[in-house]
Amino acid sequence: MADRYSFSLTTFSPSGKLVQIEYALNAVNQGVTSLGIKGKRPSSLATLSFQSKSNLLSATNGIVLATEKKSSSPLIDPPSLSKVSLITPNIGMVYSGMGPDYRILVDKARKVSHTAYKRIYNEYPPTRILVQDVARVMQEATQSGGVRPYGVSLLVAGWDEGIEPPLEGHDETGAGRKKTEETAATTASPEIETDAEQKLRKSGKTGGVLKGGPSLWQVDPSGSFFPWKATAIGKSAASAKTFLEKRYRDDLEIEDAIHVALLTLKETIEGEMNGDTVEIGIVGSPADHLLGYEGVEGAQGPRFRKLSKEEIEDYLTNL
Amino acid sequence: MRGATILKATDNKTRDLNSHTLMAFSGEAGDTIQFSDYIEANVKLYSMRNSTELGPSAVASFVRAELARSLRSRNPYNVNLLLGGVDPISQKPHLYWLDYLASLAPVPYAAHGYAQYYCLSILDKHHHPDIDLEKGMQLLQMCADELKRRMPIDFKGAIARESRGQEWHTFSGSRQ
Amino acid sequence: MANPMSIIGKNAVAIACDLRLGLQALTVSNDFPKIFQYGPDVFLGLTGLATDVQTVSDLFRYKVNLYRLREERDISPQTMANLVSTSLYEKRFGPFFVNPVVAGINRTTGEPFICGFDSIGCIDFAKDFIVSGTSADQLFGTCEALWQPDLEAEDLFETISQALLSAVDRDALAGWGAHVYIVEKDKVTKRLLKGRQD
Repeated sequence: MADRYSFSLTTFSPSGKLVQIEYALNAVNQGVTSLGIKGKRPSSLATLSFQSKSNLLSATNGIVLATEKKSSSPLIDPPSLSKVSLITPNIGMVYSGMGPDYRILVDKARKVSHTAYKRIYNEYPPTRILVQDVARVMQEATQSGGVRPYGVSLLVAGWDEGIEPPLEGHDETGAGRKKTEETAATTASPEIETDAEQKLRKSGKTGGVLKGGPSLWQVDPSGSFFPWKATAIGKSAASAKTFLEKRYRDDLEIEDAIHVALLTLKETIEGEMNGDTVEIGIVGSPADHLLGYEGVEGAQGPRFRKLSKEEIEDYLTNL
Repeated sequence: MRGATILKATDNKTRDLNSHTLMAFSGEAGDTIQFSDYIEANVKLYSMRNSTELGPSAVASFVRAELARSLRSRNPYNVNLLLGGVDPISQKPHLYWLDYLASLAPVPYAAHGYAQYYCLSILDKHHHPDIDLEKGMQLLQMCADELKRRMPIDFKGAIARESRGQEWHTFSGSRQ
Repeated sequence: MANPMSIIGKNAVAIACDLRLGLQALTVSNDFPKIFQYGPDVFLGLTGLATDVQTVSDLFRYKVNLYRLREERDISPQTMANLVSTSLYEKRFGPFFVNPVVAGINRTTGEPFICGFDSIGCIDFAKDFIVSGTSADQLFGTCEALWQPDLEAEDLFETISQALLSAVDRDALAGWGAHVYIVEKDKVTKRLLKGRQD
């Protein structure tokens, strides 16, 4: 029976809209606000190592994901509730909308990052690939029989190990120029930039090599996804975005980005702001202390990590 | 041929795949016919569907892919093939050697089975990249004569065919 | 079916193979390359059963083309090595009869990279050279004798060519010409070695 009469619930209305998807977006827009801010693109982050615990985020850059953690009852044990999730060591996400749907997506994202990538290439997927895979899962729910769309929007933040295209207008030599720098010894003309390199610098592309650095994505119930410098989803998304537009700068250090995130959240949050009611995930320099071991040459800790209650409260006192 | 018994003296082991590609085959009796029928039908189907013909290298790749698929199936075809043709665009001649394992090689001259050991040595000596058709037919005649002389099998003649790009001509039919 | 080999130099790698296609002792073709290119500086050499050399090279052409479209970038030699490994292991109980060799330069790090595999995908990473095929034993000898660290591109070419030709001349089932690729940072040079044709 189920396989004989199994058709998609998401069908076009006469006006050409898929109202089921719009309803899913409504669910998202009633959800608790979440936001993400991408910090300044680091120029030498690849070589930066984790230093000391008291100096956790000094001079690092990356992305902040932040959300409010609401509990309906004072009897709920807050630390056991979690909205910011780690997908791969360098990618994490947060949501607005329906919690149970989000948990399913987290499971699927974690699984697909292995089945469709790590188990084939023995490396974790780049952020865009993971975002695409999750977006496919969400899109399939809009066209398959017997299912409803996911009632969540996601913010996915990740870091890709790759080369970074030289910044436009800067004469800074990033990792992308490393190759030419190394040839300097043999060619004796290190300062001359080739036509190809000039073209790459102008286009911001890397010429067939993975573009590295942090990236922040939003994925919607329809399966569409967008890259952002900073954005918000959920109930107060519109006002939060207006706020972010005012506060966002291209050269935001991650410390400042966390600060802006908390300020934005403060505008929308209803209850008290403390380490129990705010959840923050960051993409930064490798957190080698989370590795669980030390002394292994070349081993690198996860770049995505959640801030502890104490860390959040430190930032809140400085607000 | 069934062991030492000759069943037919006029068995044609060549097929026209399209107006400029020809296939010759040997191997297990049933398989050769089944497989070449299948290939012939599909290459012709392509021509009908697309109002254009596959070039020799495309045909060769298609045949190889089918044979390679068959190789790892439960009952693979045991067929060896030679594919020849003139590319309708570049007007260049092509010859492909393809064995039952689906190894495909573009070659200037080729043979399958025991005949290889006799024919290839003759062709190694006499073939040049720029020989004309007449010389080619002479070489084939030399090969046929050599087989007649060395092999303890009466081949009941041979069929030689040529392509000039437009149509196929059958040269010498079966000789007694 | 004879043999690709690859060796590492200073900021460069070389990969080479002979051109023979044969059935046992019978040579069918002397123009049957066994090195395939899957990116600006990623190469795969395949030895073993000729049909599987073709099937496997076609399979990776398909996989790498899709990878390039999906990721909007070229595959790195390390990623290629892991792809080869997992793809071969998928056929653990009905393997392709090939012994691949991967060679290339990683464009993110600038490091040269080579490795070899058995027919079910076990990777053999090497800092010096990888050999494979019917003349593998001979190649081990010639490479041990001729290879040295930090060879520059031209010396790398001379070394790999002499190592390969000396080895295939000691193997009745290999030779009949060879292809040599020298992969440098921004340049790939392909050369044909005519070799003995007898």
